Amino acid sequence: MTRHTGNDDTDTTEESNGTNGTERHEEADDGTPAQPTVPELGRDEQPAIFVPDDDEDGTTGASAGDETDPRTATDGGVESATGGSDSGDLSPDAYDPIDVFPEGDLDLRDGADSCYKCTSCDTSCPVAEVDDEFPGPKFQGPEQWRLKRKGDHDIDESITSCSNCMRCDDACPSSVPLSQMHNEARGQFVEEQMEKLSVEYIRNRILANYRTSARLASMTPRLASFAMNFGPARWAMDKLLGVPKEREFPEFATTTFREWWRDRGGAQVSNPDKRVAYFHGCYSNYNTPEVGKAMVRVYEHFGYEVLVPPQKCSGTPMFANGMLKDARRHAETNVENLVEAIGEGADVIASCTSCSMSLRQEYPELFDIHGIEDVSEHTFEALEYLRIHEDLNGALADARPEDEQAFAYHAPCHARNQGLARQAVETFREVDGVTMEDVGDSCSGISGTYGWKSEKYEKSMQIGEEMFEHMEDADGEVGMTECPTCAMQMEHGTGYEIRHPLQLLEETLVA
Amino acid sequence: MDDQADVVVIGGGSTGCGVIRDLARRGLDAVLVEKGNLTHGTTGRMHGLLHSGGRYAVSDQTSARECMEENRVLRDIASHCVEETGGMFVKRPEDSEEYFQQKLEGCRACDIPAEVIDGEEARRREPYLARDVEKAIAVPDAAIDPFRLCVANAADAREHGARVETHAKVTDVLVEDGEVVGVEIEHDTGPGKRVHREPGTTEEIRARYVVNATGAWAGRIGEMAGVDVEVRPSKGVMTVMNTRQVDTVINRCRPKGDADIVVPHETACILGTTDEEVDDPEDYPEEEWEVDLMIETLSELVPALKDARTLRSFWGVRPLYEPPGTGTDDPTDITRDYFLLDHDERDGLPGLTSIVGGKLTTYRMMAESITDHVCEKLGHDAACDTADTPLPGSDDFSVLRDYMDEFGIRSPVGRRSAQRLGSRADEVLNGADPNPVVCECEGVTRAEVQDAIEGAGSDLNAVRLRTRASMGNCQGGFCTHRISAELAQEYPGPVVRDAEDELYQERWKGQRHALWGRQLSQAMLNHMLHATTMNRDGDPATTDADVDFGAFDAGTGPAGADGSEVDDATTGVTATDGGLDGDR
Ligand SMILES: Cc1cc2nc3c(=O)[nH]c(=O)nc-3n(C[C@H](O)[C@H](O)[C@H](O)COP(=O)(O)OP(=O)(O)OC[C@H]3O[C@@H](n4cnc5c(N)ncnc54)[C@H](O)[C@@H]3O)c2cc1C
Ligand code: SF4
Ligand code: SF4
Repeated sequence: MTRHTGNDDTDTTEESNGTNGTERHEEADDGTPAQPTVPELGRDEQPAIFVPDDDEDGTTGASAGDETDPRTATDGGVESATGGSDSGDLSPDAYDPIDVFPEGDLDLRDGADSCYKCTSCDTSCPVAEVDDEFPGPKFQGPEQWRLKRKGDHDIDESITSCSNCMRCDDACPSSVPLSQMHNEARGQFVEEQMEKLSVEYIRNRILANYRTSARLASMTPRLASFAMNFGPARWAMDKLLGVPKEREFPEFATTTFREWWRDRGGAQVSNPDKRVAYFHGCYSNYNTPEVGKAMVRVYEHFGYEVLVPPQKCSGTPMFANGMLKDARRHAETNVENLVEAIGEGADVIASCTSCSMSLRQEYPELFDIHGIEDVSEHTFEALEYLRIHEDLNGALADARPEDEQAFAYHAPCHARNQGLARQAVETFREVDGVTMEDVGDSCSGISGTYGWKSEKYEKSMQIGEEMFEHMEDADGEVGMTECPTCAMQMEHGTGYEIRHPLQLLEETLVA
Repeated sequence: MDDQADVVVIGGGSTGCGVIRDLARRGLDAVLVEKGNLTHGTTGRMHGLLHSGGRYAVSDQTSARECMEENRVLRDIASHCVEETGGMFVKRPEDSEEYFQQKLEGCRACDIPAEVIDGEEARRREPYLARDVEKAIAVPDAAIDPFRLCVANAADAREHGARVETHAKVTDVLVEDGEVVGVEIEHDTGPGKRVHREPGTTEEIRARYVVNATGAWAGRIGEMAGVDVEVRPSKGVMTVMNTRQVDTVINRCRPKGDADIVVPHETACILGTTDEEVDDPEDYPEEEWEVDLMIETLSELVPALKDARTLRSFWGVRPLYEPPGTGTDDPTDITRDYFLLDHDERDGLPGLTSIVGGKLTTYRMMAESITDHVCEKLGHDAACDTADTPLPGSDDFSVLRDYMDEFGIRSPVGRRSAQRLGSRADEVLNGADPNPVVCECEGVTRAEVQDAIEGAGSDLNAVRLRTRASMGNCQGGFCTHRISAELAQEYPGPVVRDAEDELYQERWKGQRHALWGRQLSQAMLNHMLHATTMNRDGDPATTDADVDFGAFDAGTGPAGADGSEVDDATTGVTATDGGLDGDR
């Protein structure tokens, strides 16, 4: 009875489907414990339902062995001993974990079927490289799951060291659902094993629910930016909450993206044939509205009608901290609103690669919400979408920015997983006056909230080392990336200003 | 006459191991001889179901009752070998309602706790069950590990003074003056623990009484003694899935038939089975259609099986016995009950009794009755206590520990180790430091492997059976060499190499029946790894071929033994590692 039900004690919104959450306790509640007919043996402690044996069997049996369609077997072609059944219910495709465990607590043991133990995942895990205590994705994923039995609830604590960068997903030659396994295991660990009053839990919950803090902070943005980075306050945060004092909190914008959008009067282009729904995420809203504005201006430049549906956090920081219940609640809002936009002909566009990753992959892997597959299929990253649907190279052919610029570009891990690692470099390759240098395929090391934990700070910087060095070697003195937390790390490690490809597009095309 | 023992028990399956434990605990001087490992025969090739008796509740109620009785006993005395999975008899729409009712009544008549649950409840317990399953009868079936069970029985017997000889084949039954007086055995590699490459010896063990507990092979031993034992070996296939699709034993609720049961076993699920009479318990065809049939038919109960990964398949032979003159044609109709054949009464040959038929579930009961019988013959007065005394490893234990703190291992690994080791967990796991995981698929650490080596010598298949090392996804591809490296501290290179080959080959044997899809890819990856990184496809050390070391060049510019640069083409005598042979 974990998070997928969406009922959460701290949640003040609708207690939607508490059904399964309470069901199992029912016997205890009404004081009449069910009498198991298997008293001393087995683990059948559940109430029995005695089926009366009145013969209402006329409907059955019809589907039995009289059909002789040749059934194919795994390899040879043998028919079932019973002649089989024609029931459409027997297709193995209908027994995906997410279908079979609609109420959550996914059992992902079957994912281990695809693992050959080749260890590619381990060799590409940035955390395993610097953290000897971390057993690596192969253990966290297929091995740990395969060793599980129903009723086993102990997930190894090391799952909390995985930063959810998802590089292992990308490395696996055999489509083992590694990040799904990590996310689910982490969720179960946090739900069942983590001390709910521990500082670590509270800190992680705060980090995971960045949107909540950001919303509050942006009510008094200047004060918040100052207060959160104020020396004594930071010292206290490090000591009390385990948020490293070395890190600078991002500044809060004085006008959020949504405020800007409202003040501007919403969309300036209306076009029922070319519509996109912008999923700006928390960071472009509260911290870097200029990225959001760039998105709007660029898309409007190409004649798109931009919708900005109501939305909450994409869930990325929550997955990474095992707060699946929180993520589920936010997902319900997001899916509902995005499905509506899709109904109006829009595709969903995110400017943050972790947001698009989440909507595309993690949502359908973890939650069974009506319409979630549609959202997944209709979601794109902002630059990716333009490269698919517009002649970006043509448009950029004669464009050039005001002054010559050189960038040190880092591809976020989550962009890599969507096959987008090269998009920024390729887009700007031919543009005069722009030099875009890829600083290599290492992980930036921050992985969202990972680098925001005191105990992980050192490791996070160690992972980032290679990227920092390559950035310094690159010609450009300005960094570029699609991911806001990578941007923080890049800035933290080099002192460079960091920009988003959309901002450069805006500058070259729109301005 | 100089007897070396009171009793010799032939056969180290569940029956023989049960008998030797009981004899030893009653104070008799007993020897167990087994031609392979413990569980080398049928016991190592069975389904692992601790019957509730439900399967026999309609057709064979005596067996059903015995099963339920022993089921309760084993949960108690062999708790570290038993996983309390529970079981279900599942009814699909096309299965007979009448039979369902008969099954239910049968269970009740045999004191088997049974409860009817509807399809929805059945799927709540086992979500992968087919959506059109209508209802089920829940019974207290369980899963049992036959290896651990036999090893624990043998260990307890040893503790009570018994001698246990594995890899010791009985080649003759000694008959003198119309009486059985002992056996002649051939030690594969000398008495004691098996060590590869040690020369074999023969030995005569004279004893006051001989028990023939060789199951499907009982006829052969009978022949050596000059008596007829009419076992009718019947083969059955079992297919091992890579993961557990179900955690409850799933039986199909219909009259006897092929492919009607899925047993969760450790990390895997085992599908079974068929029932076909064969002539020779060691040489019978292993047919592909049998495997296909398992997957095809059982996916009607658990559709996900169709797309799931199969690790391997294996076959076992049932030691069915039919009293002379019964003349049953279909092996499925032969009773599952056991029979005690006193060859004195039957054939006028004193000193020998055979025990045949039965099931693993009732092994202890069978052992008790034959031990009673032997005691009576020997005029030895002692009571049986095997029903109440826990086996070594099954004393009180808890798998709920802080493994990281206590043993420095990850919790899922620790949990599985503790489930395997039972009350021995502390003793075994506290020993080794560092204690890396040797077999990743099954979560087996060095400490457990070392503990098994202590008991099994260089016999890595025995180590495998004790620990489950090499029984997961990779089927030894990534761990046989690590496991054999654990031997290297104690045994010389060639022994280690033989042991490694033997284990690797055994793993390959079963995989031959799973070579499609993902296990085929695994087998190819294993092959490439072993061939390209360990030279296993043509290692001169194992092929005994001469290596022309002169054909290797010495590379450019390595320093000679005297520190000088060597002119490679003319003078170099290269050593295998690329360095130069000092005294050219
Ligand atoms: C397919 C199948 C599935 C089964 N499933 C179940 C189940 O789920 N539950 C259950 O309770 N029962 C089950 N059984 C039955 C059960 O496995 C057997 O009844 C039981 O294991 C028999 O044990 P045993 O010790 O009598 O015979 P075995 O285990 O065959 O032992 C005989 C031993 O004698 C040794 N031997 C033979 N000749 C010699 C010699 N010359 N010298 C020395 N040693 C010798 C053999 O190597 C062998 O180890 C199953 C059987 C089969 C075939
Ligand atoms: S998600 Fe990243 S940190 Fe986590 S196991 Fe995979 S590669 Fe390692
Ligand atoms: S990369 Fe994939 S197949 Fe290889 S070990 Fe990791 S999970 Fe298994």
